Amino acid sequence: MDTNQYMGMFLEESREHLQTLNSCLLELENDPENLSVLDEIFRSAHTIKGMSATMGFTTIAELTHEMENVLDLLRKNQLKATHEIVDTVFKCVDTLEQLVENVASGNNAAIDIKSLIDKLTKLAKGEPVVSTEEIKSGERSKLLLNETEALIIKTAKGTGMQAFDIVVSLREGCLLKSARAYMVISALEELGEIIKAIPSTEDLEKEKFDHSFNVLLLTGADLDKIQQTVLSISEVEKVEVLLCEHIQNSNVAEVSSPAVIPETVITDIQSTKLEKPSQANQANTVEKKMKGGQSVRVDIDKLDSLLNLVGELVINKTRLEQIGITHRLADLVETIEQMDRVTTDLQAVVMKVRMVPVGQVFNRFPRMVRDLSRDLNKEVNLIIQGEETELDRTVIDEIGDPLVHLLRNAIDHGIEKPHERQAHGKNPIGEIRLIARHEGNNVIIIVEDDGKGINPDVIKQKAVDKGLISQTEADKMDSNDAVRLVFLPGFSTADVVTDVSGRGVGMDAVKNKIESLGGMVDVETKLNEGSKFKIRLPLTLAIIQALLVKICEEIYAIPLGSIDSTINVTPEDIKTIQNQEVILLRGQIIPIIRLAKVLGVPQTAETLQDELFVVIVHMGEHRAGIIVDNLIGQQEIVIKSLGKLLAGIKVIAGATILGNGQVALILDVGALMQYN
Amino acid sequence: MAEKTYSSNEVQLVVFKLGREEYGVSILQVQEIKRMTDITRVPHTPDYITGVINLRGSVLPVVDLKKRLNLPAQESTDHTRIIIVKIDEVIVGMVVDAVSEVLAIDQDHIESPDAVVGGVAANFISGVGKLDNRLLILLNLEMIIGISQDTKAS
Repeated sequence: MDTNQYMGMFLEESREHLQTLNSCLLELENDPENLSVLDEIFRSAHTIKGMSATMGFTTIAELTHEMENVLDLLRKNQLKATHEIVDTVFKCVDTLEQLVENVASGNNAAIDIKSLIDKLTKLAKGEPVVSTEEIKSGERSKLLLNETEALIIKTAKGTGMQAFDIVVSLREGCLLKSARAYMVISALEELGEIIKAIPSTEDLEKEKFDHSFNVLLLTGADLDKIQQTVLSISEVEKVEVLLCEHIQNSNVAEVSSPAVIPETVITDIQSTKLEKPSQANQANTVEKKMKGGQSVRVDIDKLDSLLNLVGELVINKTRLEQIGITHRLADLVETIEQMDRVTTDLQAVVMKVRMVPVGQVFNRFPRMVRDLSRDLNKEVNLIIQGEETELDRTVIDEIGDPLVHLLRNAIDHGIEKPHERQAHGKNPIGEIRLIARHEGNNVIIIVEDDGKGINPDVIKQKAVDKGLISQTEADKMDSNDAVRLVFLPGFSTADVVTDVSGRGVGMDAVKNKIESLGGMVDVETKLNEGSKFKIRLPLTLAIIQALLVKICEEIYAIPLGSIDSTINVTPEDIKTIQNQEVILLRGQIIPIIRLAKVLGVPQTAETLQDELFVVIVHMGEHRAGIIVDNLIGQQEIVIKSLGKLLAGIKVIAGATILGNGQVALILDVGALMQYN
Repeated sequence: MAEKTYSSNEVQLVVFKLGREEYGVSILQVQEIKRMTDITRVPHTPDYITGVINLRGSVLPVVDLKKRLNLPAQESTDHTRIIIVKIDEVIVGMVVDAVSEVLAIDQDHIESPDAVVGGVAANFISGVGKLDNRLLILLNLEMIIGISQDTKAS
């Protein structure tokens, strides 16, 4: 089968399921008893297994299969979701991620999954890998023994027989599973006595098992002999034999109680115990499936072209309008009014379709925070709010890295070690809040920690030491400005450079990225109370509000975000300072940019106006006045790129298409001010 | 053109006029031919770039082919067309005086360019097609659009 055409889908879905695994595992770690989360984990793992097997990625399938075995035991309450197990599963998810990314990049590098699989199989048998917790709770181990069985084992031990826990895995795709199982059982019966089988022998006969089953065998034969016997049967993929000591030990104590309950009763109780959650699982599955079927995966390029087409429709509608007016066709005008409403709605819907909840970015952070805080021996509680806040897809794709930076900083520099926190009378568990919300036409994202805050004096000193500012500048600076020094290139506050952060490329990179998205970042901090980074982002990069201005016959758009105000001045108001034209606005000297000159607009005639229109723009702290011939008005514009051939033109940020189909250029205010 | 069967040796060309000369580009590079529309001037670009146009929602640069080839400029007329071409994923419009026809020419009738043909720098020309008593100048669009070189402001 040619699977290449499904590759994109496979990768997308695998990544999605791995993400689900990550977030659900975190939930499970906090609430080990939560069965519905386990189900979700199990389902995701199962889907990955199925998909990768179909696509022929056996390594992924194999690892997920083993992981699934452990998960299944968790689900059936035969194992407890200890830290150790969750950690191992986390590691599996990491490895799977790596495997999937290798597939994506066409990298064939082999990743060793054997050690992980070993670990998983050990866990599946209830054998502790590191901790001893498991042994203490013997009844949690995989094979549940009733008193009779334990008694048999105990007495047998006296006669030199040993109990072995044998896990037999049949080959995937084995057709007559029950027949194979029967062969295994009868071969084992020749070696000794089978005390117990999971699933029960009846179930094995009815093929009510997946690909593996457990047998508890009482025999005088040794481990190798058993292994050989089982492996000699065809279609047996793997067999693991384990001397089950600890099961015995824990149960022997109970055996002393003489009350021997008939076995049938016990198995009955057990089977009902097991069935209940599985029924609940099914109900859950159905519910989840119904929810899942309501979305469609669409390529962002398709949405872009849809948006383009809608824009084109709007332009054509404007033309029709003009025809209707010039030819005085009342009927046409009326119809076009209807059409106008439809196209406006259409445009709004298309824009909405492009919006994605920030949760898509946020959901990978809990895992990151968990790992990082563990590495640094800190305890951090991440609180996420407003993950349903929607942003344009293009912004979403870009915002991840800066947020990772801020969160890393918060954990590394912000949150103190538990004992330091206690010394300051704080909760030893630090708190980081990641909040997203709408504010007008912007989205605000806040990263806030309750750590030690930023000391302005230390920052000033650092900046002076590094030669970023002079001592006199530092002395004049208030604490707010001092804290903002962290955004300067080449600044790092960590005394020791760690893996996590502190290479001095951090905050200025964050600032640059956010500004390139048309956003702003600011910081507030209080010593020993914490810091708060506030990011303000435009809802979308594709559509902005702009002021259309006219210079001679040419129309340009100035992004409204960088406009302070528009004023009228007379030519006499313009003064010169060292050949630089300036105006005085509310006591402030503002340099003047003559757009016609900068853009080389062909002047039709020397127009001597009594009144000049000046658009006051700002970029950071700097301001400038742009002289234009006329103001046309404020309008929502769709930003288009000028393409590869015209890339890199200074002062022009892009282009847009006006209502009449004409192209207008968008001015890059920042570049314009530097140009002057 | 009575002959409708094309041998594999033939190339199909879109033939257009610049002044009195006839030029050709491979039909495979041509996306469409458009009537003259409003062209928005873009500042700080080489003078042969007329500006940008709106082609169904996307913004395309337009090259004034006559300026690029150092031919005398001329007012646009009813026959003036913009040929939209795609070269190496870059879509560009070219202003020409008129588009005359699409024809097939045998590879054997295409000669390599001499140092200077019709006043055009040789590296803009990929060959000269001989057709009865006509001469077609075949353009090397990669060079003309400036993908293989830097577009320097003049």
